[in-house]
Amino acid sequence: MIVLGIESTAHTFGVGIFDENRGIVGESRKNYVPNKGGILPREVAQFFSEVAGNAIKEAISKANISIDDLDGIGVALGPGMGPQLRVGASVARALSVKYNKPLIPVNHGIAHLEIARYLTKMRDPVILYVSGGNSIVTTYVDGRYRVFGETLDIALGNLLDTFAREVNLGPPYIVNGNHVVDLCADKGKFMKGFPYIVKGQDVSYSGLLTHAIRLKKQGYNLNDICYTLREIAFSSISEVTERCVAHTNKKEIILTGGVAANKLLNEKLTKMALKQGASYMPVPFKYSGDNGVMIALTALYELKYGIKIDPEKAYINQRWRIDEVDIPWYYSTI
Amino acid sequence: MVLFNDLINLESFLKFQLLKRGAESEIRLGSFADVKAIYKIRTKKDYMEEDLDIELRYSRTKKEAKILSIAYANGVNVPRIYAVYPSIGVIVMEYIYGITLKDLLINGNDESLKFSYLAGKELAKIHKSGIVHNDFTTSNIIIKEQEVYIIDFGLSEYSANIEDRAVDIHLYKRAVESTHARISSIIFNEFRKGYIDHLGSDKGEEIIKRSREIELRGRYVGERKTVWKP
Ligand SMILES: Nc1ncnc2c1ncn2[C@@H]1O[C@H](COP(=O)(O)OP(=O)(O)O)[C@@H](O)[C@H]1O
Ligand SMILES: Nc1ncnc2c1ncn2[C@@H]1O[C@H](COP(=O)(O)OP(=O)(O)O)[C@@H](O)[C@H]1O
Ligand SMILES: [Mg+2]
Ligand SMILES: [Mg+2]
Repeated sequence: MIVLGIESTAHTFGVGIFDENRGIVGESRKNYVPNKGGILPREVAQFFSEVAGNAIKEAISKANISIDDLDGIGVALGPGMGPQLRVGASVARALSVKYNKPLIPVNHGIAHLEIARYLTKMRDPVILYVSGGNSIVTTYVDGRYRVFGETLDIALGNLLDTFAREVNLGPPYIVNGNHVVDLCADKGKFMKGFPYIVKGQDVSYSGLLTHAIRLKKQGYNLNDICYTLREIAFSSISEVTERCVAHTNKKEIILTGGVAANKLLNEKLTKMALKQGASYMPVPFKYSGDNGVMIALTALYELKYGIKIDPEKAYINQRWRIDEVDIPWYYSTI
Repeated sequence: MVLFNDLINLESFLKFQLLKRGAESEIRLGSFADVKAIYKIRTKKDYMEEDLDIELRYSRTKKEAKILSIAYANGVNVPRIYAVYPSIGVIVMEYIYGITLKDLLINGNDESLKFSYLAGKELAKIHKSGIVHNDFTTSNIIIKEQEVYIIDFGLSEYSANIEDRAVDIHLYKRAVESTHARISSIIFNEFRKGYIDHLGSDKGEEIIKRSREIELRGRYVGERKTVWKP
């Protein structure tokens, strides 16, 4: 079976093609890059509508197939931002109807988890999923991915991006694969007195953000503030991941989502895993951020278990939780 | 409670029998003044900046001991404290010989509903003492001779705040859901009754309601990308 997947939940319009026999066979990504200041989801949606056609053509031509060869069209229906989700959903509905292919609803968060499991070959891991909109510690129990811990307020990527914006380090937030907060932290040293907030298996970052911004306004060294903000943020999320590992006794740990590209976070999790006697791997850099391939992969799993949706009923769901999705394919391999 | 000013070395405690490995500590069984005693030893986290790790272990050890003694004084079922050594991260306390609620639920014991009710009752007592637990999961609840004991106050705080109290409810609910998924709603319902019966229904209901809001806030992600908003 061959499935095409469409991702359009936030800032990336991605199309990926996954072949059951050959694996990842083609993809295309169009990233909306914000310039100064805040941006409106509508502008991103507008950009998505303009690039959608080309993205699909590119992915299909890279895969060296024709649309007729496809067995299904997968689309991320949530969670994410309404205007962008609607673009992906309409494109997918149109393809499904025009070419008479089954339409497969995919949860964006689940797709980040599945691509990580597939590429790391870890079958039953504790997963830390950290991106612009999510900070979740999850693992599979009894038919679903259960949320063991998460942020009680803002997400890790959002913390870094918002801080960078507030102190004029960005946008852009990522330069040559590094976050601007990392670059700034390189010359810094640890400061005492920052709030480190862990409640059970959850973290909270909003107090940390406010504290860091306040110190900058008071004239403290920005390198030191970045260093400490990052140290506290990564240490606390590593700690809650460790708690999940201790609680569940699982022996594998993986990292996925946009922030998985971060070097220091990887170092911390490597050490933590060693301490817990578990093995650790991040999702390969290329698939840490939003992409269409992860949607195609998840859609393929779903299709094999008969999960489809009537194009007329393919509504977007901005707040679709990962623990609302049944995972009948968990133990199957592709 | 004795607060020793540490000339004690950790090495001698590490010879005691290892009973359990917690999320952040080793639990060893030794003795203290001729009675069996639990040595909770907070171990080094080498993935953190050293200063941060030392500071966290010191403050959590000290706070856990302090709060345990307050809870004990307020009649909450908790282990008695024998000694504390904050600078090496060690607490010596009463050995509660029993089984964790988590293990009891996993084995599907018929009495587990009753104990979930009693866990709600103990949490109400904790909150009435002006404390929030902050790690209120089924691994931190021990059943001994039909009584429910609460342990692991390492993340506790002094607070009577609705939001903070609601986090405890949220943590319990999620612990039950994530490890005992199939029967979780019945188990949680008993807990809720125990909590409300002992805290009073007005306050109790308000806190339960807030815990639901926290749940939504955490997991519903679409609205939280503030960078995207002008
Ligand atoms: N090297 C890196 N270090 C830290 N954060 C990073 C790095 N690369 C990307 N990110 C962060 O990842 C986030 C984007 O994650 P992604 O999974 O693509 O999407 P989403 O924003 O939809 O949740 C952004 O917050 C970005 O700053
Ligand atoms: N006083 C005690 N009596 C009996 N068992 C205990 C006691 N304290 C801890 N334990 C056991 O050790 C485990 C871990 O202890 P805990 O205090 O929760 O450490 P951590 O903070 O590392 O999670 C508990 O789940 C329990 O089984
Ligand atoms: Mg514990
Ligand atoms: Mg603890």
